Amino acid sequence: MTHAERHRVLVEALAGTIKPVRPLWPVRARLGLWLLLEALVLVWAATHTGNDFMRKFGHLDYALEVALFAAAATLAAMLALRLAIPGRRAGPTEVALSVVLALVGIALVAIGEPMRTGYSLGEFLSVGVGCAIETCLLAALPWIALWWAVKRGAPMRGAAAGASTGAAALLFAFALMRIKCPIDDPLHILTWHLMPVLVITALSALAGAAWLRFRPRGGGGESRT
Amino acid sequence: MDIPVSIQPSGPGIRAGMDRPSGGGGGRCAPTPFVAATEAPCCAYTPESRIERLSEGSDAIAGSAARMKKADDAQRLERSRIRAHLMQRLQQGDADSCRLLLDDVGPAVTRFLRGRVASDEVEDVYQEIFMALFQARHTYEAGRPLEPWLFAIARNVAADHSRKRWTRASWEELTPDLPERAAGDSPAAPPDIEGLLTRLPAAQREAFAMLKLDGMSLEDAAGRAGVSVGALKVRAHRAYKALRKLIGGEGEGA
Repeated sequence: MTHAERHRVLVEALAGTIKPVRPLWPVRARLGLWLLLEALVLVWAATHTGNDFMRKFGHLDYALEVALFAAAATLAAMLALRLAIPGRRAGPTEVALSVVLALVGIALVAIGEPMRTGYSLGEFLSVGVGCAIETCLLAALPWIALWWAVKRGAPMRGAAAGASTGAAALLFAFALMRIKCPIDDPLHILTWHLMPVLVITALSALAGAAWLRFRPRGGGGESRT
Repeated sequence: MDIPVSIQPSGPGIRAGMDRPSGGGGGRCAPTPFVAATEAPCCAYTPESRIERLSEGSDAIAGSAARMKKADDAQRLERSRIRAHLMQRLQQGDADSCRLLLDDVGPAVTRFLRGRVASDEVEDVYQEIFMALFQARHTYEAGRPLEPWLFAIARNVAADHSRKRWTRASWEELTPDLPERAAGDSPAAPPDIEGLLTRLPAAQREAFAMLKLDGMSLEDAAGRAGVSVGALKVRAHRAYKALRKLIGGEGEGA
Protein backbone atom coordinates (compact mmCIF):
# COMPACT_ATOMS: atom_id res chain seq x y z
CA MET A 1 0.00 0.00 0.00
CA THR A 2 1.43 3.37 -0.93
CA HIS A 3 1.64 6.37 1.38
CA ALA A 4 -1.25 8.07 -0.43
CA GLU A 5 -3.45 5.00 -0.08
CA ARG A 6 -2.63 4.65 3.60
CA HIS A 7 -3.32 8.34 4.08
CA ARG A 8 -6.71 7.96 2.37
CA VAL A 9 -7.67 4.96 4.52
CA LEU A 10 -6.63 6.81 7.67
CA VAL A 11 -8.48 10.00 6.77
CA GLU A 12 -11.62 8.10 5.82
CA ALA A 13 -11.47 6.16 9.09
CA LEU A 14 -11.17 9.37 11.08
CA ALA A 15 -13.80 11.24 9.06
CA GLY A 16 -16.13 8.26 9.44
CA THR A 17 -16.02 8.40 13.23
CA ILE A 18 -16.07 12.16 13.64
CA LYS A 19 -18.39 13.64 16.25
CA PRO A 20 -18.86 17.24 17.32
CA VAL A 21 -16.69 18.27 20.23
CA ARG A 22 -17.07 21.13 22.65
CA PRO A 23 -13.91 23.25 22.34
CA LEU A 24 -12.14 24.22 25.52
CA TRP A 25 -13.26 27.50 26.99
CA PRO A 26 -10.73 30.30 26.65
CA VAL A 27 -7.96 30.40 29.23
CA ARG A 28 -9.38 33.58 30.77
CA ALA A 29 -12.81 32.04 31.28
CA ARG A 30 -11.38 28.92 32.90
CA LEU A 31 -9.03 31.00 35.00
CA GLY A 32 -11.99 33.11 36.11
CA LEU A 33 -13.87 30.01 37.23
CA TRP A 34 -10.87 28.76 39.13
CA LEU A 35 -10.47 32.12 40.86
CA LEU A 36 -14.14 31.96 41.76
CA LEU A 37 -13.48 28.63 43.45
CA GLU A 38 -10.52 30.17 45.26
CA ALA A 39 -12.75 33.05 46.35
CA LEU A 40 -15.17 30.54 47.89
CA VAL A 41 -12.30 28.90 49.73
CA LEU A 42 -11.17 32.35 50.86
CA VAL A 43 -14.64 33.12 52.23
CA TRP A 44 -14.63 29.82 54.10
CA ALA A 45 -11.13 30.46 55.47
CA ALA A 46 -12.00 34.03 56.50
CA THR A 47 -15.11 32.91 58.37
CA HIS A 48 -13.37 30.03 60.14
CA THR A 49 -10.47 31.79 61.79
CA GLY A 50 -9.66 33.48 65.05
CA ASN A 51 -7.08 35.63 63.30
CA ASP A 52 -7.83 39.35 63.22
CA PHE A 53 -6.68 39.63 59.65
CA MET A 54 -8.73 42.76 58.89
CA ARG A 55 -6.66 44.70 61.40
CA LYS A 56 -3.46 43.21 60.00
CA PHE A 57 -4.39 44.36 56.51
CA GLY A 58 -3.75 47.86 57.82
CA HIS A 59 -0.05 46.99 57.70
CA LEU A 60 1.34 47.38 54.21
CA ASP A 61 3.82 44.50 54.38
CA TYR A 62 1.13 42.05 55.48
CA ALA A 63 -1.28 43.16 52.74
CA LEU A 64 1.55 43.05 50.23
CA GLU A 65 2.55 39.53 51.28
CA VAL A 66 -0.97 38.19 50.75
CA ALA A 67 -1.38 40.08 47.47
CA LEU A 68 1.98 38.93 46.11
CA PHE A 69 1.27 35.25 46.82
CA ALA A 70 -2.23 35.53 45.38
CA ALA A 71 -0.81 37.20 42.26
CA ALA A 72 1.91 34.56 41.87
CA ALA A 73 -0.73 31.84 42.25
CA THR A 74 -2.99 33.45 39.65
CA LEU A 75 -0.10 33.71 37.23
CA ALA A 76 0.85 30.07 37.83
CA ALA A 77 -2.74 28.99 37.25
CA MET A 78 -2.83 30.94 33.99
CA LEU A 79 0.40 29.27 32.87
CA ALA A 80 -0.97 25.84 33.78
CA LEU A 81 -4.13 26.41 31.77
CA ARG A 82 -2.11 27.73 28.87
CA LEU A 83 0.22 24.73 28.96
CA ALA A 84 -2.83 22.54 28.43
CA ILE A 85 -3.18 23.87 24.90
CA PRO A 86 -0.78 22.53 22.26
CA GLY A 87 1.30 25.28 20.70
CA ARG A 88 0.89 27.63 23.63
CA ARG A 89 3.60 27.73 26.19
CA ALA A 90 4.58 29.48 29.36
CA GLY A 91 6.66 32.48 28.43
CA PRO A 92 9.95 32.85 30.33
CA THR A 93 8.94 36.35 31.42
CA GLU A 94 5.72 35.09 32.96
CA VAL A 95 7.45 32.22 34.70
CA ALA A 96 10.12 34.58 36.00
CA LEU A 97 7.50 37.08 37.15
CA SER A 98 5.63 34.38 39.04
CA VAL A 99 8.82 33.23 40.76
CA VAL A 100 9.88 36.78 41.57
CA LEU A 101 6.48 37.60 43.09
CA ALA A 102 6.69 34.52 45.30
CA LEU A 103 10.30 35.27 46.27
CA VAL A 104 9.50 38.87 47.20
CA GLY A 105 6.59 37.56 49.25
CA ILE A 106 8.90 35.14 51.04
CA ALA A 107 11.41 37.94 51.66
CA LEU A 108 8.66 40.07 53.16
CA VAL A 109 7.67 37.21 55.45
CA ALA A 110 11.27 36.68 56.51
CA ILE A 111 11.99 40.31 57.32
CA GLY A 112 8.52 41.32 58.49
CA GLU A 113 8.85 40.20 62.09
CA PRO A 114 11.79 39.15 64.26
CA MET A 115 12.14 35.37 64.44
CA ARG A 116 11.15 33.82 67.75
CA THR A 117 13.36 31.08 69.02
CA GLY A 118 11.83 30.55 72.43
CA TYR A 119 9.58 27.67 71.36
CA SER A 120 9.85 24.26 72.83
CA LEU A 121 10.33 21.70 70.07
CA GLY A 122 7.11 19.94 71.01
CA GLU A 123 5.09 23.15 70.75
CA PHE A 124 6.76 24.07 67.48
CA LEU A 125 5.93 20.68 65.99
CA SER A 126 2.41 20.27 67.31
CA VAL A 127 1.28 23.69 66.15
CA GLY A 128 3.23 23.50 62.91
CA VAL A 129 2.08 20.12 61.69
CA GLY A 130 -1.51 21.27 62.02
CA CYS A 131 -0.74 24.32 59.88
CA ALA A 132 1.03 22.20 57.26
CA ILE A 133 -1.95 19.88 57.03
CA GLU A 134 -4.31 22.85 56.83
CA THR A 135 -2.25 24.36 54.00
CA CYS A 136 -2.58 21.11 52.07
CA LEU A 137 -6.30 20.88 52.77
CA LEU A 138 -6.91 24.44 51.61
CA ALA A 139 -5.04 23.63 48.40
CA ALA A 140 -6.70 20.27 47.77
CA LEU A 141 -9.91 21.33 46.08
CA PRO A 142 -8.35 24.06 43.88
CA TRP A 143 -5.55 21.65 42.95
CA ILE A 144 -8.00 18.95 41.90
CA ALA A 145 -10.07 21.47 39.94
CA LEU A 146 -7.04 22.90 38.16
CA TRP A 147 -5.57 19.46 37.47
CA TRP A 148 -8.87 18.41 35.92
CA ALA A 149 -9.01 21.59 33.83
CA VAL A 150 -5.46 21.05 32.58
CA LYS A 151 -6.01 17.36 31.98
CA ARG A 152 -9.05 18.17 29.89
CA GLY A 153 -6.70 19.86 27.45
CA ALA A 154 -3.67 18.23 25.89
CA PRO A 155 -0.57 19.34 27.82
CA MET A 156 2.60 18.61 25.90
CA ARG A 157 4.90 19.21 28.86
CA GLY A 158 3.48 17.23 31.74
CA ALA A 159 6.03 18.17 34.37
CA ALA A 160 5.71 21.89 33.69
CA ALA A 161 1.93 21.68 33.68
CA GLY A 162 1.99 19.68 36.91
CA ALA A 163 4.40 22.10 38.57
CA SER A 164 2.31 25.11 37.54
CA THR A 165 -0.84 23.42 38.80
CA GLY A 166 0.76 22.61 42.13
CA ALA A 167 2.32 26.05 42.47
CA ALA A 168 -0.99 27.78 41.73
CA ALA A 169 -2.99 25.80 44.28
CA LEU A 170 -0.32 25.85 46.98
CA LEU A 171 0.69 29.50 46.62
CA PHE A 172 -2.94 30.47 46.95
CA ALA A 173 -3.23 28.21 49.98
CA PHE A 174 -0.18 29.97 51.42
CA ALA A 175 -1.91 33.33 50.96
CA LEU A 176 -5.07 31.93 52.57
CA MET A 177 -3.08 30.58 55.49
CA ARG A 178 -1.69 34.06 56.11
CA ILE A 179 -5.31 35.04 56.63
CA LYS A 180 -6.36 31.98 58.58
CA CYS A 181 -3.35 31.36 60.80
CA PRO A 182 -2.87 33.87 63.64
CA ILE A 183 0.85 33.15 63.96
CA ASP A 184 3.09 35.71 62.27
CA ASP A 185 6.41 34.27 63.33
CA PRO A 186 8.64 33.93 60.22
CA LEU A 187 10.14 30.65 61.43
CA HIS A 188 6.68 29.11 61.74
CA ILE A 189 5.51 30.48 58.40
CA LEU A 190 8.62 29.51 56.46
CA THR A 191 8.70 26.03 57.96
CA TRP A 192 5.08 25.00 58.19
CA HIS A 193 3.39 27.15 55.54
CA LEU A 194 6.09 27.36 52.89
CA MET A 195 7.55 23.87 53.07
CA PRO A 196 4.28 22.18 52.04
CA VAL A 197 4.13 24.59 49.10
CA LEU A 198 7.56 23.51 47.88
CA VAL A 199 7.09 19.81 48.59
CA ILE A 200 3.63 19.49 47.06
CA THR A 201 4.63 21.56 44.03
CA ALA A 202 7.56 19.20 43.44
CA LEU A 203 5.28 16.18 43.86
CA SER A 204 2.76 17.76 41.52
CA ALA A 205 5.50 18.19 38.91
CA LEU A 206 6.36 14.50 39.22
CA ALA A 207 2.71 13.52 39.00
CA GLY A 208 2.31 15.77 35.98
CA ALA A 209 5.23 14.12 34.21
CA ALA A 210 3.63 10.73 34.84
CA TRP A 211 -0.06 11.38 34.31
CA LEU A 212 -0.73 14.82 32.92
CA ARG A 213 1.14 14.68 29.65
CA PHE A 214 -1.05 14.19 26.60
CA ARG A 215 -0.69 10.71 25.19
CA PRO A 216 -2.90 9.81 22.28
CA ARG A 217 -4.97 6.71 22.81
CA GLY A 218 -4.84 3.83 20.36
CA GLY A 219 -8.29 4.36 18.86
CA GLY A 220 -9.06 7.50 16.92
CA GLY A 221 -12.79 7.59 17.33
CA GLU A 222 -13.08 8.93 20.85
CA SER A 223 -14.24 12.42 21.37
CA ARG A 224 -14.91 14.67 24.28
CA THR A 225 -18.37 15.97 23.65
CA MET B 1 8.21 31.61 15.09
CA ASP B 2 8.93 29.27 12.24
CA ILE B 3 5.65 27.93 10.99
CA PRO B 4 5.92 25.21 8.37
CA VAL B 5 3.13 25.59 5.83
CA SER B 6 2.28 23.23 3.02
CA ILE B 7 2.67 24.86 -0.36
CA GLN B 8 3.34 21.70 -2.28
CA PRO B 9 1.84 21.88 -5.73
CA SER B 10 1.61 18.11 -6.00
CA GLY B 11 -0.23 15.77 -3.66
CA PRO B 12 -3.37 16.42 -1.76
CA GLY B 13 -4.10 20.00 -0.92
CA ILE B 14 -7.05 22.27 -0.30
CA ARG B 15 -9.22 21.84 -3.34
CA ALA B 16 -11.00 24.60 -5.14
CA GLY B 17 -14.69 24.00 -5.63
CA MET B 18 -15.31 22.68 -2.15
CA ASP B 19 -18.40 23.79 -0.33
CA ARG B 20 -17.84 27.31 0.72
CA PRO B 21 -17.41 27.55 4.48
CA SER B 22 -20.38 29.00 6.25
CA GLY B 23 -21.14 30.02 9.80
CA GLY B 24 -18.77 30.24 12.76
CA GLY B 25 -16.12 32.65 11.59
CA GLY B 26 -17.45 32.95 8.04
CA GLY B 27 -17.05 36.70 8.23
CA ARG B 28 -13.31 36.25 8.57
CA CYS B 29 -13.07 34.01 5.54
CA ALA B 30 -14.71 35.89 2.69
CA PRO B 31 -15.68 33.93 -0.45
CA THR B 32 -13.47 35.75 -2.94
CA PRO B 33 -10.11 35.42 -1.22
CA PHE B 34 -11.01 31.86 -0.27
CA VAL B 35 -11.45 30.81 -3.89
CA ALA B 36 -8.56 32.97 -5.02
CA ALA B 37 -6.25 31.42 -2.49
CA THR B 38 -7.18 27.91 -3.45
CA GLU B 39 -7.08 28.38 -7.21
CA ALA B 40 -4.76 30.76 -8.95
CA PRO B 41 -1.75 31.69 -6.81
CA CYS B 42 -1.45 28.39 -5.01
CA CYS B 43 -1.39 26.30 -8.18
CA ALA B 44 0.66 28.73 -10.23
CA TYR B 45 3.40 28.89 -7.67
CA THR B 46 6.01 26.20 -7.44
CA PRO B 47 9.49 26.28 -5.98
CA GLU B 48 10.84 25.35 -9.43
CA SER B 49 9.11 28.25 -11.15
CA ARG B 50 10.54 30.60 -8.58
CA ILE B 51 14.04 29.33 -9.31
CA GLU B 52 13.50 29.81 -13.06
CA ARG B 53 12.25 33.30 -12.57
CA LEU B 54 15.14 34.16 -10.30
CA SER B 55 17.63 33.06 -12.93
CA GLU B 56 16.17 35.29 -15.65
CA GLY B 57 18.26 38.28 -14.84
CA SER B 58 20.06 39.81 -11.94
CA ASP B 59 18.34 43.18 -12.38
CA ALA B 60 14.95 41.68 -11.85
CA ILE B 61 15.99 39.61 -8.87
CA ALA B 62 15.54 42.18 -6.16
CA GLY B 63 12.12 43.34 -7.32
CA SER B 64 10.73 39.93 -8.11
CA ALA B 65 12.07 38.41 -4.91
CA ALA B 66 10.34 41.10 -2.90
CA ARG B 67 7.12 40.63 -4.84
CA MET B 68 7.27 36.88 -4.42
CA LYS B 69 7.95 37.17 -0.73
CA LYS B 70 4.92 39.39 -0.40
CA ALA B 71 2.78 36.96 -2.40
CA ASP B 72 4.21 34.09 -0.40
CA ASP B 73 3.27 35.74 2.88
CA ALA B 74 -0.20 36.54 1.65
CA GLN B 75 -0.72 32.97 0.50
CA ARG B 76 0.55 31.59 3.74
CA LEU B 77 -1.75 33.86 5.71
CA GLU B 78 -4.74 32.97 3.58
CA ARG B 79 -4.00 29.28 3.76
CA SER B 80 -3.61 29.50 7.52
CA ARG B 81 -7.00 31.20 7.74
CA ILE B 82 -8.60 28.51 5.64
CA ARG B 83 -7.05 25.79 7.74
CA ALA B 84 -8.24 27.48 10.92
CA HIS B 85 -11.73 27.70 9.46
CA LEU B 86 -11.70 24.04 8.44
CA MET B 87 -10.55 23.12 11.92
CA GLN B 88 -13.50 24.93 13.43
CA ARG B 89 -15.82 23.00 11.12
CA LEU B 90 -14.03 19.79 12.07
CA GLN B 91 -14.73 20.55 15.73
CA GLN B 92 -18.39 20.84 14.81
CA GLY B 93 -18.28 17.32 13.39
CA ASP B 94 -18.08 18.13 9.66
CA ALA B 95 -16.54 15.09 7.95
CA ASP B 96 -15.83 16.94 4.66
CA SER B 97 -13.84 19.61 6.45
CA CYS B 98 -12.00 16.84 8.28
CA ARG B 99 -11.01 15.25 4.95
CA LEU B 100 -10.00 18.58 3.41
CA LEU B 101 -7.93 19.64 6.36
CA LEU B 102 -6.14 16.33 6.86
CA ASP B 103 -5.43 16.10 3.13
CA ASP B 104 -3.99 19.59 3.23
CA VAL B 105 -1.76 19.13 6.27
CA GLY B 106 -0.61 15.64 5.25
CA PRO B 107 2.37 16.73 3.09
CA ALA B 108 3.49 19.23 5.71
CA VAL B 109 3.40 16.54 8.40
CA THR B 110 5.38 14.17 6.17
CA ARG B 111 8.02 16.84 5.57
CA PHE B 112 8.09 17.57 9.28
CA LEU B 113 8.79 13.92 10.05
CA ARG B 114 11.62 13.49 7.57
CA GLY B 115 14.86 13.80 9.45
CA ARG B 116 13.09 13.46 12.78
CA VAL B 117 12.24 9.77 12.64
CA ALA B 118 13.74 6.84 10.77
CA SER B 119 12.37 6.57 7.24
CA ASP B 120 10.88 3.12 7.87
CA GLU B 121 8.92 4.51 10.81
CA VAL B 122 7.53 7.61 9.17
CA GLU B 123 4.25 5.87 8.29
CA ASP B 124 3.63 4.74 11.85
CA VAL B 125 4.38 8.13 13.36
CA TYR B 126 2.35 9.85 10.64
CA GLN B 127 -0.64 7.75 11.63
CA GLU B 128 -0.07 8.42 15.33
CA ILE B 129 0.08 12.15 14.67
CA PHE B 130 -3.21 12.11 12.82
CA MET B 131 -4.83 10.12 15.63
CA ALA B 132 -3.45 12.60 18.15
CA LEU B 133 -4.69 15.58 16.14
CA PHE B 134 -8.09 14.00 16.01
CA GLN B 135 -8.19 13.22 19.71
CA ALA B 136 -6.96 16.66 20.72
CA ARG B 137 -9.22 18.55 18.33
CA HIS B 138 -11.23 20.05 21.17
CA THR B 139 -8.12 21.92 22.35
CA TYR B 140 -7.78 24.03 19.22
CA GLU B 141 -8.73 27.62 19.99
CA ALA B 142 -10.82 29.28 17.31
CA GLY B 143 -9.27 32.43 15.92
CA ARG B 144 -5.71 31.29 16.42
CA PRO B 145 -3.47 29.97 13.64
CA LEU B 146 -3.66 26.21 13.33
CA GLU B 147 -0.01 25.53 12.54
CA PRO B 148 1.56 26.06 16.00
CA TRP B 149 -1.13 23.80 17.47
CA LEU B 150 -0.67 21.18 14.78
CA PHE B 151 3.11 21.05 14.91
CA ALA B 152 3.22 21.10 18.71
CA ILE B 153 1.21 17.87 18.65
CA ALA B 154 3.33 16.44 15.84
CA ARG B 155 6.52 17.29 17.74
CA ASN B 156 5.13 15.68 20.89
CA VAL B 157 4.20 12.46 19.09
CA ALA B 158 7.54 12.31 17.27
CA ALA B 159 9.41 12.91 20.53
CA ASP B 160 7.39 10.20 22.27
CA HIS B 161 8.19 7.83 19.45
CA SER B 162 11.90 8.62 19.59
CA ARG B 163 11.90 8.18 23.35
CA LYS B 164 10.25 4.76 23.07
CA ARG B 165 12.66 3.74 20.35
CA TRP B 166 15.63 4.88 22.41
CA THR B 167 14.36 3.03 25.48
CA ARG B 168 13.86 -0.12 23.42
CA ALA B 169 17.32 0.20 21.89
CA SER B 170 18.95 0.74 25.27
CA TRP B 171 17.66 -2.68 26.38
CA GLU B 172 19.04 -4.42 23.36
CA GLU B 173 22.62 -5.56 23.60
CA LEU B 174 24.45 -5.79 20.32
CA THR B 175 27.21 -8.39 20.19
CA PRO B 176 29.67 -8.80 17.32
CA ASP B 177 29.56 -12.62 17.52
CA LEU B 178 27.00 -15.13 18.63
CA PRO B 179 27.81 -16.55 22.07
CA GLU B 180 29.60 -19.85 21.87
CA ARG B 181 27.75 -22.98 22.89
CA ALA B 182 29.05 -25.13 25.70
CA ALA B 183 30.73 -28.32 24.44
CA GLY B 184 27.98 -30.66 25.63
CA ASP B 185 25.14 -28.57 24.16
CA SER B 186 23.33 -29.74 21.11
CA PRO B 187 21.08 -27.47 19.06
CA ALA B 188 17.57 -27.67 20.45
CA ALA B 189 15.32 -29.83 18.32
CA PRO B 190 11.95 -28.35 17.42
CA PRO B 191 9.28 -29.70 19.77
CA ASP B 192 6.97 -32.39 18.50
CA ILE B 193 3.80 -30.36 18.61
CA GLU B 194 1.55 -33.11 17.29
CA GLY B 195 2.81 -35.54 19.88
CA LEU B 196 2.37 -33.00 22.63
CA LEU B 197 -1.13 -32.15 21.47
CA THR B 198 -2.26 -35.72 22.05
CA ARG B 199 -1.43 -35.23 25.70
CA LEU B 200 -3.85 -32.31 26.05
CA PRO B 201 -7.53 -32.67 26.98
CA ALA B 202 -9.73 -32.94 23.87
CA ALA B 203 -11.41 -29.55 24.32
CA GLN B 204 -8.09 -27.73 24.66
CA ARG B 205 -6.58 -29.64 21.73
CA GLU B 206 -9.53 -28.71 19.55
CA ALA B 207 -9.31 -25.02 20.52
CA PHE B 208 -5.58 -24.90 19.83
CA ALA B 209 -5.90 -26.72 16.50
CA MET B 210 -8.70 -24.51 15.22
CA LEU B 211 -7.01 -21.24 16.19
CA LYS B 212 -3.35 -21.96 15.55
CA LEU B 213 -3.22 -24.78 13.01
CA ASP B 214 -6.34 -24.07 10.96
CA GLY B 215 -6.07 -20.30 11.40
CA MET B 216 -9.75 -19.84 12.15
CA SER B 217 -11.12 -16.67 13.72
CA LEU B 218 -12.27 -16.74 17.34
CA GLU B 219 -15.92 -16.40 16.31
CA ASP B 220 -15.77 -19.21 13.74
CA ALA B 221 -13.88 -21.50 16.08
CA ALA B 222 -16.32 -20.80 18.91
CA GLY B 223 -19.23 -21.50 16.54
CA ARG B 224 -17.76 -24.81 15.48
CA ALA B 225 -17.00 -25.86 19.06
CA GLY B 226 -20.47 -24.76 20.13
CA VAL B 227 -19.21 -22.53 22.94
CA SER B 228 -18.99 -18.80 23.54
CA VAL B 229 -15.96 -16.82 22.35
CA GLY B 230 -14.93 -16.26 25.96
CA ALA B 231 -15.05 -19.97 26.75
CA LEU B 232 -13.00 -20.75 23.68
CA LYS B 233 -10.42 -18.16 24.69
CA VAL B 234 -10.14 -19.81 28.10
CA ARG B 235 -9.65 -23.24 26.51
CA ALA B 236 -7.01 -21.87 24.15
CA HIS B 237 -5.23 -20.10 26.98
CA ARG B 238 -5.13 -23.31 29.01
CA ALA B 239 -3.83 -25.18 25.98
CA TYR B 240 -0.99 -22.64 25.53
CA LYS B 241 -0.08 -22.93 29.20
CA ALA B 242 -0.11 -26.73 29.12
CA LEU B 243 1.97 -26.81 25.94
CA ARG B 244 4.49 -24.39 27.34
CA LYS B 245 4.82 -26.58 30.40
CA LEU B 246 5.16 -29.73 28.32
CA ILE B 247 7.78 -28.17 26.03
CA GLY B 248 9.70 -26.87 29.03
CA GLY B 249 9.53 -30.32 30.65
CA GLU B 250 10.80 -32.00 27.50
CA GLY B 251 13.63 -29.48 27.23
CA GLU B 252 14.71 -30.20 30.77
CA GLY B 253 14.43 -33.92 30.26
CA ALA B 254 16.51 -33.87 27.08
